[in-house]
Amino acid sequence: MKRKVAALEKVDADLPNLQHKIRNDPLSYQQDFQAQFDQYASLRELFLQSPTTTDDSGVVRLKDLIDFVSHVADCYPTLTSSFPKDVSSLLELHHASLDAELRDKLVGSLVLLRRKDIIDSAALLDTLWPLLLNTPSKSLRELLFTKIISDLRTSNAKATNHKLNRHMQSKFFDLIASDPASPKCLWPVKITRELWKRQVWTEAKAVAVMKEAALSQDAKVVTGGVRFFLGGDQEREEAAAEEDQDDEGHVDIRKLKHVAGINKKSGKRANELKDAAKKVKRQERKKNAPQQLNFSALHLLHDPQGFAEELFQRHLQPAQPKVRLNLDQKLLVLQLVSRLVGLHKLTLISLYSYFLKFLVPKQPKVTSFLASLAQASHSLVPPDVLEPLIVKIANEFVSEASAGEVASAGLNGIREVCVRQPLAMTETLLQDLVQYRKSKDKGVQMAARGLLSLYREVGAEMLKRKDRGKEAAMGLRTGDKSSARFGEVAAGGIEGLDLLEKWKEEQGINSENEDEDAGWDNWDAESDDSDDGEGWINVESDGEDIDISDSEDEREKKAKAKAKAAGDGADKDESSKPEEAEAALKEEENRISKLATTRILTPADLAKLNELRQTAAITAALPANKRRRIQQQQQAAAERHNDDALTADQIEGLASLSHKMTKEEKLRKAKGDPEERNDHRSSTAKRKEQKRAEGKSTTNKEKARKKNFLMTIGKAKRKGKRSLADEQKIQRGHISRMKRGGKRGNMG
Amino acid sequence: MSKITVAGVRQNVQELLKYSNEEKKRNFLETVELQIGLKNYDPQRDKRFSGTVKLPKVPRPNMAICILGDQHDIDRAKHGGVDAMSAEDLKKLNKNKKLIKKLARKYDAFVASDSLIKQIPRLLGPGLSKAGKFPTPVSHNEDLSAKITEVKSTIKFQLKKVLCMGVAVGNVDMTDEELVGNVMLSINYLVSLLKKGWQNVGSLTLKASMSPPRRLY
Repeated sequence: MKRKVAALEKVDADLPNLQHKIRNDPLSYQQDFQAQFDQYASLRELFLQSPTTTDDSGVVRLKDLIDFVSHVADCYPTLTSSFPKDVSSLLELHHASLDAELRDKLVGSLVLLRRKDIIDSAALLDTLWPLLLNTPSKSLRELLFTKIISDLRTSNAKATNHKLNRHMQSKFFDLIASDPASPKCLWPVKITRELWKRQVWTEAKAVAVMKEAALSQDAKVVTGGVRFFLGGDQEREEAAAEEDQDDEGHVDIRKLKHVAGINKKSGKRANELKDAAKKVKRQERKKNAPQQLNFSALHLLHDPQGFAEELFQRHLQPAQPKVRLNLDQKLLVLQLVSRLVGLHKLTLISLYSYFLKFLVPKQPKVTSFLASLAQASHSLVPPDVLEPLIVKIANEFVSEASAGEVASAGLNGIREVCVRQPLAMTETLLQDLVQYRKSKDKGVQMAARGLLSLYREVGAEMLKRKDRGKEAAMGLRTGDKSSARFGEVAAGGIEGLDLLEKWKEEQGINSENEDEDAGWDNWDAESDDSDDGEGWINVESDGEDIDISDSEDEREKKAKAKAKAAGDGADKDESSKPEEAEAALKEEENRISKLATTRILTPADLAKLNELRQTAAITAALPANKRRRIQQQQQAAAERHNDDALTADQIEGLASLSHKMTKEEKLRKAKGDPEERNDHRSSTAKRKEQKRAEGKSTTNKEKARKKNFLMTIGKAKRKGKRSLADEQKIQRGHISRMKRGGKRGNMG
Repeated sequence: MSKITVAGVRQNVQELLKYSNEEKKRNFLETVELQIGLKNYDPQRDKRFSGTVKLPKVPRPNMAICILGDQHDIDRAKHGGVDAMSAEDLKKLNKNKKLIKKLARKYDAFVASDSLIKQIPRLLGPGLSKAGKFPTPVSHNEDLSAKITEVKSTIKFQLKKVLCMGVAVGNVDMTDEELVGNVMLSINYLVSLLKKGWQNVGSLTLKASMSPPRRLY
């Protein structure tokens, strides 16, 4: 054995062995390393003289040596000071002609040098990045892409490396800005998108790179940029959700401890417990970590108006654009433009007339065009711009003769536009369109009803009297419901505040002397748990003495204020008639602000407010199914935010209702989920399995019931043959046992 | 800080007013600003919020307002001593971006008559809405001065690219009672806008233009 090791040592090619030894004792093996390094240098010289003619064995040897040197370079920093530069220059100059394995090794050793902190990230990326753009080899490009991404991720792992990010982002930006027509620009797009997805880059500069890409002159780059804006955020969210799920696996530490106390103690079990504790700690830390700022890319844009205009003018408007985009790509650009317009409420009047020629049923993907149109309309678009579009949709799509899907798509499109700009509709057209709710086709019927219910809310006076419905008609009569004027921004109030006020009055809680602290009890339960120390101090330090003195103070002041307000009111009444309107205004103000301006709404107040708001909206008089429907509608409306995109699916809506299902479709629908249907077990069995899956054990009764019959039979036989005396004895024993509290009872 | 009390707010307001009016009186009317820091808020998942609310007392009485109107409204404006522009004046700007930007910068808010407002996007392009100063409509049978006070007393909460914001809620000329009312209403409205109520509020700070900030929460 010893001889064998000695023999191996003699072979000077045994680099891994030498590497191991150097690692343990760099100083004493310096000579050996020097020899190897000299060999590497001479081989490199040879290679540089004739890069193409070097024989295979030489290349292999060079590759091994480079690997070896890069692994131990951190032990001899002075000797190998020129090594990183050599490697990168070798790559830069000869990447095209190098042997594939040697090339990959060079890339790998550079990354290794970076990991050992011999070179910094900027140097590494400066070598790899031009290579990525210039190499003709696909495999190398893939390798470089992954290496670049992973290096950027690791250098941003602990803290954001702003310097490096800025360096790379400006590089990307310059590349696209200087040469917008080249397909090379796809790489910045790819890298930025990947880093965005991983939440490594989340700032405005990365968005600026993508903006530049969307305005470039290569079709692929353009679509890459546009797709990023349309889907990048969703992708990021999904990736984050997935990550959460990965290490979610909730650990019940108490249960594990309990189990560890019962089961046999072993090293493995102890380790498991430790691991679980670590995991819980990690999760806890993650939960408490400050949340990242996830602004959507669309919000981080510097100048959305300029961007939308540029996109539209460059890619959509001209008859002969510089970039040839096919219909799908054009549609993507259009979606982005309309999303920007809708989200930021931009003014881009020429966009709407552009839609005109696409709004015919024969147009491929017409629902996407309708969705884009609806996205592009918002409350600041002049109604006279949208009106011709709506008329065109109505004429082209909605008629008795058109197919159900077409008509319902048209009606849905009109509704979506009108949700965002109700003034775009004319009275006659609306009354005409509402008639379609009597259509025989289910899809059309639903779409028309949607339009009707929308206008009952936003513009009931445009509907015919009989279509208005009870609520809207009453609202009109009392004057609460008037349609919004153009450019008007309704001033919001705290919704349901009056309800809260009334409730408080009913409860006999005077807003002045109510204990404010009570409302704050237990509101921040989560955070209190995490820093339990503070919770106590807070309670103490919010001393009552301060509160008491102040509440008295307050009462006085309030009384004064009230007196003053009353005085004001009296003055107003007495003064003169023309000021009556103002007085009314004042009065209303007082009413609104009485609660909101004198009290801070505590968490308890807010919770009650929410509850009251919900119960008030759904009048108890309604039948249950109707109530449920209203509730669902409200929920759906609340979930839809105007930051969300509108999709073609929403326009198609219930078009499936207009279309008769074929037999296969019906069968498939009737079958439903196959797994659910094939589960033929009893409900008890299913429940038991669920219990088992939750980790719950069986009850004693169940255990007794399940006990093997043969184990119980002996006792059962004996039981029947017992003498009366035995029976008595046993019974006594049982009674005394019960009194003691069981076999192990300690009551004597 | 675990909670906010009426008394605490009142005390802070009093101290602030005392500082600005007595200790360090400045040569201009200081505005009082409410600065808000949010927490536990993911702008992507929770969606951005925005909302306007009308305060009981005008926070900035010196706001410059311009009326864009037809002849009737211009006459009314002149009567009330407010700057006014007609459709012709706007056409003279000729959609020149610089001029429109200048106009938007010159005034804090705009009011336009019903007949004109629909043409505003056409006449002026995106300039006004870009500056967040799209006009408020006023009709002939509405009282112009009441409308102007309404515009002046309306404040807007809008989340931009950062998780903090500031809104002007008053000035140092107001009595402490009025200022407390304005501050409370703004705080209550803000909290009602937030999805998780107080759990989303990181900090609330009150500050006059030249005073040190005072933390309310």
